[in-house]
Formats: sequence, structure tokens, C-alpha cells
Amino acid sequence: MSTTLYHGEPNGPSLTVLAALFAKQVPAERVHIDLARGERHRLACAQEPQVAMSVEGEGPVLVVEGEPMTESVFLACYLDDVGQGAALRPADPYGRWEMMTWCRQMIERTAPAAAYLGCRARPPRADSALLARIGSVDLRARWEAIQAGNFSENHLSDSRTKIRQAIEKIEQRLQGREWLMGTFSIADIESYAWLAGMVSLVPEAFAAKPRASAWLERTRAEPAVARALALARSADPAAVWSVGPEINRWG
Amino acid sequence: MHSVTLYHWEPNANSGKPMLALMEKGVAFNSHYLDLLSFDQHKPEYLAVNPQGTIPAMLHGERVLTESTAIMEYVDEVFAGPKLMPADPRDRWRVRWWMKFMDQWLAPSFSMIGWKVFVGPAVRDKDPQELQAAIERIPLPERRVAWRKAISGAFGAEELEESRRRVALGIRMLEEELTKRPWLASNQYSLADINGFNLAYGLPVVWPELSNDELTPHILRWLRTIYARPATKACWAMGRTSMAKRVAVLEQPQPGPGQPA
Repeated sequence: MSTTLYHGEPNGPSLTVLAALFAKQVPAERVHIDLARGERHRLACAQEPQVAMSVEGEGPVLVVEGEPMTESVFLACYLDDVGQGAALRPADPYGRWEMMTWCRQMIERTAPAAAYLGCRARPPRADSALLARIGSVDLRARWEAIQAGNFSENHLSDSRTKIRQAIEKIEQRLQGREWLMGTFSIADIESYAWLAGMVSLVPEAFAAKPRASAWLERTRAEPAVARALALARSADPAAVWSVGPEINRWG
Repeated sequence: MHSVTLYHWEPNANSGKPMLALMEKGVAFNSHYLDLLSFDQHKPEYLAVNPQGTIPAMLHGERVLTESTAIMEYVDEVFAGPKLMPADPRDRWRVRWWMKFMDQWLAPSFSMIGWKVFVGPAVRDKDPQELQAAIERIPLPERRVAWRKAISGAFGAEELEESRRRVALGIRMLEEELTKRPWLASNQYSLADINGFNLAYGLPVVWPELSNDELTPHILRWLRTIYARPATKACWAMGRTSMAKRVAVLEQPQPGPGQPA
């Protein structure tokens, strides 16, 4: 089965999929592309709906037998299904429900906040020819706002709140456990992937959070995560961001 | 076997997803109807079950489950009955992709317009003090904002226009996807179809200019086929409002070949 992963720096959604790929030992060709320069929109599959309309924004693309697949948590579930070794999801249905609702919160509340703050700190840059190729009107609007330096104070402060809430939730969750779901899972990878870069941008969120801080270190040291991080081309991959999911339009 | 209690509103959107999944699996459940328009979901009795005050919630034995799409996956895994997730890993990915796309991109646009034309007007005539108190009881700040906007009709022209753009694009995407295979995400009936039906069953009534037998024959075929299933019929018969009754439009037969649509 031919599998190719187009990914960016090991941060955010690219890190989730790379770590899952390594944890499950799935053979795949890996192609490093610069998501922060919009290079995903140069791919032959860029206009396919599952790529163009991915809710995640500028995430990695896994192409399996010609079918382009996106959305990092679901790609990790796919890799967990097809790969080998220890499962990346809890064994019982209730545990899996907990993991999926945890990841949904990450996807919906934390990821847009992290990407927003990350893009403000280090804005991604795509040239206008590439921007014109972006198939999704709302994704293109997010690119244009970022390139114009157009960040709303409301969204910035709300994003910091959401990061604080995520760390608080992790701190509570880790009472009496090493990993968010008991055993190392997609929830740890996904949460780490969005939050590792927030240590420098929202330092107050991590103050007096010993369990969350130790968990960040533990996750970074997991072999599959470490191997993904070793693919970095920049000194600090957690500082490299591209346009993320949309901040909830309802407020 | 533990008993199942589902706290839900109408067979529609998020409430309808676990309702229909349970009924497809043949799982008997205690139905606890919450009247969204009377703010039952923010009353103390329900907040004791789900402190977030979101609908639906499912009690399975002692366990409380929330988040309609995740509940559906749980229901499919834990109960006997027909499998509603395909066995093939890539099909499973496709089911989840479509559910996320609908839950997070398309459905909020449908519901913004739905709240403007249905929910807002339905509650606006209540006593203003009672409404204010009801809003203040809402635990999640973003839901408070949404309710305030719905009640005051304060959705901006620009955001409504953006929602209309997304509805039109989403309809085209669904139509295109349904030309590829009999069901939305795989060759078998799945949670993606249950999710999609909850979003789209009212299309021919609410958006007749965008979705009809001529423009979107695959969507109409899909909706009618789902509504013909006994579980869907039984589920929508639990509806109490005019909103759920829009499903009656799907009782019209499919136009045959050569017949005018």
C-alpha cells in the first residue's frame, strides 16, 4: 500500500501525525513541506475537498493509495488502526469516548487559540500567487488577516484564556496518573503538539503547574515524539506555526 | 445490562444524532425530553446531570456521556446491533472527516440561520425578566452569547451572509460526495449518514432553491433512503415541534427516470 505523508515542522498537527506514524511503525514516504509558506497549496491534491476544506487549517496530508487524508487526530486514529505495537487509544469504549471528547476540546478550543497566538508571534508568509490558489475562502481570509498583522485584542486575550484553561485541565487530569488517558495515547500527542509552543508565549499558564510541566517533559521524551522532533529543520520547531483552525464564529 | 437514559431535545442536529444511533442499534432507552425553548437544559435538575448545560447527554449506568458525535461512536462500540462504523480503517477516517466537517464548519452555519428564523422568534415573546434570568443560568459563556444574539436577533448581516455562503458550498460538497458512493463516507450506512441526516433532513424545505430534485438529486435520494429506514421514521415520530415535522417532505417518492423532477 503506497503511503506518503506531507508534513511541516514537527509542531501542531504535523507533530501529531509524525509521532503516531513512528509509534505505530507505519511505513510511509515522508515529504517535508513548508506549511508556514503555504506550500500545501502546491500539492497536486490541494484542491481535493478533504484537503482544501480541512477544518484544521494548514495541517499535514497523508496520501494513501491516491486518497488525500487530513485532520491530525483522525489520521492518528487511522495509523493506530493500520499500524503495529501498543494501541494509541484506550482499550475500552468509555476510555475511547473520553479520549475523543478530550481531543475534540483540544481541536475546537485549544488549537485555534494556540495557532492564533503562534501566528502572531511568528507570522507565516506565503506569496500572493500561492495565496490565490487557496481553495477555501475562509482559510484564505485567515491568511490575509495574519499577513496584514490584523489580530483582534479580543481574540488574543480569549486565546490566552483558553491556553490557561487547557493547562489547568491537564493539571487536574494528571492527579494520580502519568498520561491523560492512563496510558500514552493520541490525547497526549495532540495536547502536547498544540501546547509545547505555548510555554514561551503564555508562560503564566504553566506557572505552579508541576504535573502539567512534568507531563510536557515526559511526552517530549517518548520515543515516537522524540523521533518526530528530531526531524526539525529549525532550532525550535515549537515556534513554527502556520494558519490553524478558525476561532469559533459564535463568540 | 445497564439502563440507558438519553436527555435530548428534538430529533434534530445534536440531539437527533445519539437518538437515531441508539434506535438503529435497537437499544431501548429512557427518553428524557428537554424543551430547549423553555431552557430546560439550564435548569438545576439537568445541570446536576451535565454541568455544562449542553444537550444531549446520555446516562449509561452510572456514566454520563456528552458530545453527540463521541456518544455515537460509544453507542456503536458498546452495544450489539448493526455496525455503524465501517471495518476498513480508511472508511473510518472518512466517516470522522465528514462528521468533523459537518459538526464544526457546516452545522454552525445552518444553526446560526436556524436560530435566527426559528429559535429566536420562538422564545422572544417570553417575559423579558424570565429570559434574562434564563440566560444568566447558562454555564458556558459562548452559549450565553449565542442565546443573547438569538433572542435579540443580533446576528450581523455579514455573519449571516457568511453562513449562507457556507450552507450553499456545503450543499454542493455533499451533492458531489454522494455521486461517488451510495452513502456519504463509505459503501455502508454509517454514523456519517446519521450525522448528515440530522443536519440536512430539512434542506428541501428550508433551502429549496439550493437543494431540490433537479439541482441535488443525490442528496434528495440519500435523504429519502435514510428516512425510509424504520429507525429514522420511529425517531422523527418523537418530534414535538414543527421543526422536526419538516421531515414529512421526504415522504414524496423518488422521481423515476424520465419523470419530471
